[in-house]
Amino acid sequence: MALIGCGFIGGVHLGSWKRVKGAKLVAVVDIIEGRAKRAAEEYGVPNYFTDYSKVLEMKEVDIVDVCTPTYTHAEIAVAAMKSGKHVMCEKPIALRLREADEMIQTAKKAGVKFMVAHCLRFWPEYVAAKRIVDEGTIGEPRIARAYRLSPFPEWAPWHKDRRLGGGVFVDMSIHDVDFLRWALGDIESVYARGGVLKTRDSTAHDYTHAILKFKNGAIAYVEGSWIQPPGFPFTTYLEIVGTKGMLTVDNHSTSAVRIFRPGAPTTDFTPVEEDAYYKEIKHFYECVVEDKEPMVTGEEARKTLEVVLAAVKSVEEGKPVKLPLGGEVL
Amino acid sequence: MRKLRFGILSFAHIHAWSYARVVKELEEAELVAIYDDNPERLKKASETYGVKDTYTDYRELLKRDDIDAVIITSENAKHAELAIAAAEAGKHMIVEKPLATSLEDAERMIRAAEKAGVKLQQAFVMRYHDATVTIKGILERGEIGDVLVITTTNHGKYPGLWFGDPELAGGGAVMDHTVHTADLMRWYTGDEVEEVYAVIGEKIRSELRVEDNALISLKFRKGVIGSIDCSWSRHEGWPIWGDVWLGIIGTEGYIVVDAFRSCINLVVDGKPLTWVYFGSDCDFNMIRDFVRVVEEDKTPRATGYDGYKALEIALAAYESSKKGEPVKLPLR
Repeated sequence: MALIGCGFIGGVHLGSWKRVKGAKLVAVVDIIEGRAKRAAEEYGVPNYFTDYSKVLEMKEVDIVDVCTPTYTHAEIAVAAMKSGKHVMCEKPIALRLREADEMIQTAKKAGVKFMVAHCLRFWPEYVAAKRIVDEGTIGEPRIARAYRLSPFPEWAPWHKDRRLGGGVFVDMSIHDVDFLRWALGDIESVYARGGVLKTRDSTAHDYTHAILKFKNGAIAYVEGSWIQPPGFPFTTYLEIVGTKGMLTVDNHSTSAVRIFRPGAPTTDFTPVEEDAYYKEIKHFYECVVEDKEPMVTGEEARKTLEVVLAAVKSVEEGKPVKLPLGGEVL
Repeated sequence: MRKLRFGILSFAHIHAWSYARVVKELEEAELVAIYDDNPERLKKASETYGVKDTYTDYRELLKRDDIDAVIITSENAKHAELAIAAAEAGKHMIVEKPLATSLEDAERMIRAAEKAGVKLQQAFVMRYHDATVTIKGILERGEIGDVLVITTTNHGKYPGLWFGDPELAGGGAVMDHTVHTADLMRWYTGDEVEEVYAVIGEKIRSELRVEDNALISLKFRKGVIGSIDCSWSRHEGWPIWGDVWLGIIGTEGYIVVDAFRSCINLVVDGKPLTWVYFGSDCDFNMIRDFVRVVEEDKTPRATGYDGYKALEIALAAYESSKKGEPVKLPLR
């Protein structure tokens, strides 16, 4: 397999690919040569390139993992599929529905597997929450609440351009939206409020809250913030209330480990040997090897994209937006 | 020291019991007489607080010259009648929230109090909670810069009683649980809401005649964004009645208020975990401040007008949910 885009998530994926038995890392690609070289050295990958078309020419590459910035997903994924590569692509699938459609159709035509890395579908507490909902323990879901709060991702400055990253809801709240779609079903309409509230020189929304109406009658509040103060620990919360019960979970009070160091922010997390990224990547590997349908198909990812784009549109128009979306938003 | 002499008009609202406790505790106050249109409840209150003067006709209680102030804790829809009668009898008053079930009633109450020259304090206890008061100071001193977003929840269990009766309560969770945090947002921003969007969800408890969950999105005139989850979405077995939670994002900081999270974990063998609250006694603070307001002839921290503006947000939420569109304020 080959991985394209050796930034933050690329590194996380490389570590996981390294652990998948049967998978062999053949090449890494990054437009910054030093970054590609460092990744190759760190993960013992024999080849590194600055041009992704190089790995598409390599016959021994079966799988391409696209970890580049969002605005490049469609081009790279489509090219890889046309070269007969199975493609795993970071979320969001793309920024425009027509791009998502092209990716889906190209994968079909090429007869390759295509999955979008919506990692919450492998995240332990979200998997457990989904199981509880599916088992009917809390009855029929009625109202949910999910948020994801963080300072602005300064390490990836392209997020400041709405046409490159889509903004906080498209990039980050997409996790919660995808999970809620997975757990509660399809969404009928979206109302959202937000904007560029704090971040300088940004055309991308840095805060958005949305009220979602699901086809089954459930409603949800989803909030995404990139305007938390510097040093604020990444914070997530999920609550689902049903006719028979309710569940809540957050990422801090449930941490198995908390680390305090002088001069550094407190960190807390829950280490598990088979973490979500490893499970996600192993799953895609198995889909390819065993010819199974991936957990997050292009069609699924497109539906999720449509909801987050509807939220952007709602913020800009000040009105609720009904799905399906009539056209492109970004 | 002369004590402020109180009457309580109805124990229908659950908060009446806590207010009665506070009046008994306060050195500067005295609980003189109580009224209730439910004789059984009147008897229970009389026995609980050792009040001998009991009335099933509030007019009789209001006729007494030795009562300075009343606390109105009836069903929401009866506030207006009681408050207007109290004002006409020259009594100062604390009125339970929501102020009324319609803006017309709310306005009549405010006018009656103004005309009679009596204090009308809206029982927005959250303005008297030491956590929210502390944060008010922090915000006023600009310690987190300018406020950009206030996300709030006022979750609760289903309170039962008449709270599920649309005629007496004027609505369900939206009527009951919108106003506290709506008021805190107004208090913190010093600004008014310009636009309300809300969605009322299908009932968690299908047997109810009123809504039990809803989500509200707000925009203030100067641009602050707010939200309220006012749902009675806590099932029986949740360790506490509910919450008042605020996440306040400023240009230079972030504040979380979880006003009723200060609790001891308690388990009695074989029963579910419960939380025993040990935090600020906002009911006590509120009534003590009311006594001061009356004695010193001051304006209450939460006035009838504040009650009116918070009620307007709740009513706009109903309208928005019905129309499926954002609603502009003021409503009238």
